Amino acid sequence: MKTPLAAFAALAFSACVCAQTAYQAPLVEQSLLLDITAGETLVIVGERGHILTSSDGQEFKQAEVPSTATLTAVTMVDDQAWAVGHDATILHSDNKGKTWRVQFSNPKLERPFLDVHFFDKQHGIAVGAYGMFYRTKDGGEHWQAELHASLLDPYDREYLEEIREEDEEFYKQELNSILPHLNRISQHEQKLYLAGEAGTLALSEDMGKTWQRYTVDYTGSFFDIAALDSDTLMAVGLRGNIFVMQNNENWEYIKTCSTSTLNSILPIDKQQVAALGNNGIVVTMQRPFTVSQHDPYAREQDCSAGKNVKVHQIDDKAAIVNATQFDKKVLAVSANGIKTLKLE
Amino acid sequence: MSRITQFLERLIFTHRIAVILLFAVATLFLGYQASLLKLDAGFEKNIPLNHEYMQTYMAHRNDFGGANSVYVSVCDKQGNIFNPEFFDTLKDVHDQLFFINGVDRSLVVSLFSPSTRFTEIVEGGFAGGPVIPADFDSKNPQALEKVAANIEKANIVGRQVANDYSCSMVTAQLLDLNPETGEPLDTLALAAQLEKQLRQQFENDSISIHVIGFAKMIGDVAEGAKDVVLFFALALAITAVMVFFFSRNLMLTILPLTCSFIAVVWQLGLLTVMGFGIDPMSILVPFLVFAIGVSHGVQMINAVEKKAVSGAGAKHAAMFAFRSLLIPGGIALLSDTVGFMTLLVIDIGIIRELAITASMGVAVIILTNLILLPVLMSYLKLDQKYVAKFKGKEAHSVRFWQWVAGCSQKTPAMVILLVTALLLVFGLYQSQQMKIGDLHAGAPALHESSRYNQDTFLITDRYEVTVDYLSVLVETTPEACTSYDVMNAMDGFQWKMRNVPGVQSTVSLASIAKVVNAGYNEGNVKWQVLPRNQQTLVQAIARIPTSSGLLNGDCSVMPIILFMEDHKAETISRVVDAVKQYRESYETDDMKFSLASGPVGVMAATNEAVKEAQIPMMAYVFGAVILLCLLSFRSLRSTLSVVIPLYVVSVLAQALMTFLEIGLTVSTLPVIALGVGIGVDYGIYILSTMNARIKQGDSVQQAYLTALHERGSAVLFTGITLAIGVSTWVFSSLKFQMDMGILLTFMFLVNMLGAIIVLPALARILWANRNEDKSPDQ
Repeated sequence: MKTPLAAFAALAFSACVCAQTAYQAPLVEQSLLLDITAGETLVIVGERGHILTSSDGQEFKQAEVPSTATLTAVTMVDDQAWAVGHDATILHSDNKGKTWRVQFSNPKLERPFLDVHFFDKQHGIAVGAYGMFYRTKDGGEHWQAELHASLLDPYDREYLEEIREEDEEFYKQELNSILPHLNRISQHEQKLYLAGEAGTLALSEDMGKTWQRYTVDYTGSFFDIAALDSDTLMAVGLRGNIFVMQNNENWEYIKTCSTSTLNSILPIDKQQVAALGNNGIVVTMQRPFTVSQHDPYAREQDCSAGKNVKVHQIDDKAAIVNATQFDKKVLAVSANGIKTLKLE
Repeated sequence: MSRITQFLERLIFTHRIAVILLFAVATLFLGYQASLLKLDAGFEKNIPLNHEYMQTYMAHRNDFGGANSVYVSVCDKQGNIFNPEFFDTLKDVHDQLFFINGVDRSLVVSLFSPSTRFTEIVEGGFAGGPVIPADFDSKNPQALEKVAANIEKANIVGRQVANDYSCSMVTAQLLDLNPETGEPLDTLALAAQLEKQLRQQFENDSISIHVIGFAKMIGDVAEGAKDVVLFFALALAITAVMVFFFSRNLMLTILPLTCSFIAVVWQLGLLTVMGFGIDPMSILVPFLVFAIGVSHGVQMINAVEKKAVSGAGAKHAAMFAFRSLLIPGGIALLSDTVGFMTLLVIDIGIIRELAITASMGVAVIILTNLILLPVLMSYLKLDQKYVAKFKGKEAHSVRFWQWVAGCSQKTPAMVILLVTALLLVFGLYQSQQMKIGDLHAGAPALHESSRYNQDTFLITDRYEVTVDYLSVLVETTPEACTSYDVMNAMDGFQWKMRNVPGVQSTVSLASIAKVVNAGYNEGNVKWQVLPRNQQTLVQAIARIPTSSGLLNGDCSVMPIILFMEDHKAETISRVVDAVKQYRESYETDDMKFSLASGPVGVMAATNEAVKEAQIPMMAYVFGAVILLCLLSFRSLRSTLSVVIPLYVVSVLAQALMTFLEIGLTVSTLPVIALGVGIGVDYGIYILSTMNARIKQGDSVQQAYLTALHERGSAVLFTGITLAIGVSTWVFSSLKFQMDMGILLTFMFLVNMLGAIIVLPALARILWANRNEDKSPDQ
């Protein structure tokens, strides 16, 4: 079932550009920062419209931003950068993050964008809460909403199809509120992967126009999905759950014995991958991965972590949201700001 | 004036027995009253209640507790709290604190209080419970492990548990009234209970107990203030030796000391009669009264001796002394009294008490040392042997006085005035840098090495939360916490304040609501925002109880708590200024960001009150002195000669405060007024003679030499005696007494020097036409 549901043609412009400039804060580098991307420069986004840029990973400069919305994700294609966040805000910079303008904003939706991805300078998608899915074909000048019923789990889809037969309007209404939060999109070669609420893991081979849900033995939320290579896919999520899919077989569980939610996957090299999470948790895994059966009823006390898995906690125990490798360093963003991680 | 003096002289000296009896009866009565005097300390006395910030503080005290908290940190000496003995002790400490009278039982918080809960996010929602479960058994290692895990989940490390897990905190708020009696809370009794029932009972080889908070601090101050008896005995002994050295006669030593002691007894007795107790912060005042009494007593015996040497009998000499000293002594003591009274303009209870205590004591001296003392002395038998001995002493000092009198010659006078002018400029420059408030960490009243301050350092070191916090109270409409706009404004303001240097961390309902909102979204920090949707916002706030101290019952008042790095005056004023600046862009008709609550809020108000009081206080005290001098001397030149050296010395005292890093605080503010009030005595004694001589046609030099002969030795002696008496305070276990001791010693000595050296030099210039410029040796 790959019915594209890109139905809502209402071209949405920014509903309210409530120009409120972010405060230039001395402590911005220690504030809640939520995403980091390394292109030609480093760009970091966070709460209150904070955007930081750096060319060397040492000194950061806070950009002038015409928004105080909390920004949750950022992406770069060459010198173009897009940042998304709460109040359904999308910001754009055409100079590597130096200056920004609002491309889209709609606080009335009461929904945040949670990730943004661009295929090239023109084509991109922004995803967020309750299945929010916007697409642009012109570098963000216009954003178009889409709803993807294919992201629903089979039971919900069945229920919705029944409704659809009776009342198309009610179907759309229901779909708009039943869709899971879409937490993360990532691309590997021509494939697009998506991680979301309530066990949502999905694949798209047509730039996100149609989606195919994976079956995974977990109903909690996933916060990141990443292809480590053409044959290995990893997903991390709530309460320290890590699943890995190798050679297109089933999703298998990697036991860490840590119950802290994992927010992001950071591939280190061909042999190693790290997962970063709340309470300052850094899980490092060596290949080959030791997999086991997921047992939700296992007692915490009896747990022993898989071979090749190490769990480390950073000193201030701040939630680590994402990280990137830059200039031989691992730079992370956390609830307490920028951190340099030392990975073994 | 002289007619009144004559009338009084006749009245008193014809009824000597009656006078003595009257004094004896009064002393008995007031002595009994003095024996009932209690040490009395209260939190509110130390704060300027009418200050704008304190009005806010008082208005919301019932909702948020006040600044009057007690923090008890129970520490394991091995550095790890997870052992049965520690948890048993912690529970005992919690229970003990709970039952101490005067503790607000609803606000006792520790790991053992049911309000200390943890929450964790699980698939599909929350799981949670009390950090210490109901079936907790400290003997069971698994139970301890469970608690350790819960502590981490509850996010209380740094607040209720030390960062390194070596200690755990029990906090309590204190009531203002004793719930059993309805009387104001006896802070000192409570402090004693804290010491006895907590520290002494539970501290042992493996557990240490650290207690801080205003009540404990003032308790320790009161404990240290008990040393004052020792200082009193020491000062009494030193003074006795010195007076004996001065008078060379046992009776002449005993009488002024006795009269001064009577003044102290009267003063303390009067305090009880008026319904006051004595505050540990002003326990030095009786001391000061004694010293002032002795100094005036010495003038009296000096005058009696001089007359006796010239051949008059004791009674005649005493009458003469009474007659010649009633006016200058009365004026001097009146200046002291008025000087102390000016402290009443400062709207801080404790300074007002000090003003009343001190001015009453000094007023009493007028009776005991200007009336009782000469009457008692009139009964003395001054034999020929004594007279001869005294004559020898006189002859010896004549040469010295002639040398000193050189100060009124032209060249020395010019040099002296030049040096004085330079000192003044230097002093003015330095005094501009004088800091307001506390300059050091910990409780300023106590030494850094005191147990209290060591406990403070330990707690600030091991926990993240400091006791130095200031609350900005957001006063708005009922149910305002459900409004996104209100909460967003609070959040924005809070972030700006967080960025002010000196602010260590901040918390408010808004910032907690954001964390709770992330919690509702599976702990995902990307959702750590204030929800625009009202139901979602309500859902987030519903989890925050009023006992958190972050909102009142209908959330129309919500504090934004700013934890500070320290409570130095500079830091406080920087933060307060930032509050005033930033709140302008957030306040609306319905939403005010009011200063202030919390210990630092109190300090901010106190600092501002002290700063505002400083200039008026100086103006009043100098105004009073100038007025009294003009009245008694009827000469502008005389008045200037007295007041100018006094002013220079008070400026230098401020410079000294800058130099010694003594801040202008509630305890040091009165010192300048006290110093000026007492310092004026010297000038008045010297000038009362000079003024009369000059009016009779003498040159400045002759008049000054006469004054030195008559009063010089007494002035010199008094200055040294007073200075030695107060300098013993330097050894006090209380920092503020040490500071006061240093400053008063300085003021007494330098004022004395000013009266002997600068005053004649000034007179030389002011009476330019009344000089004979030649060295007295010629």
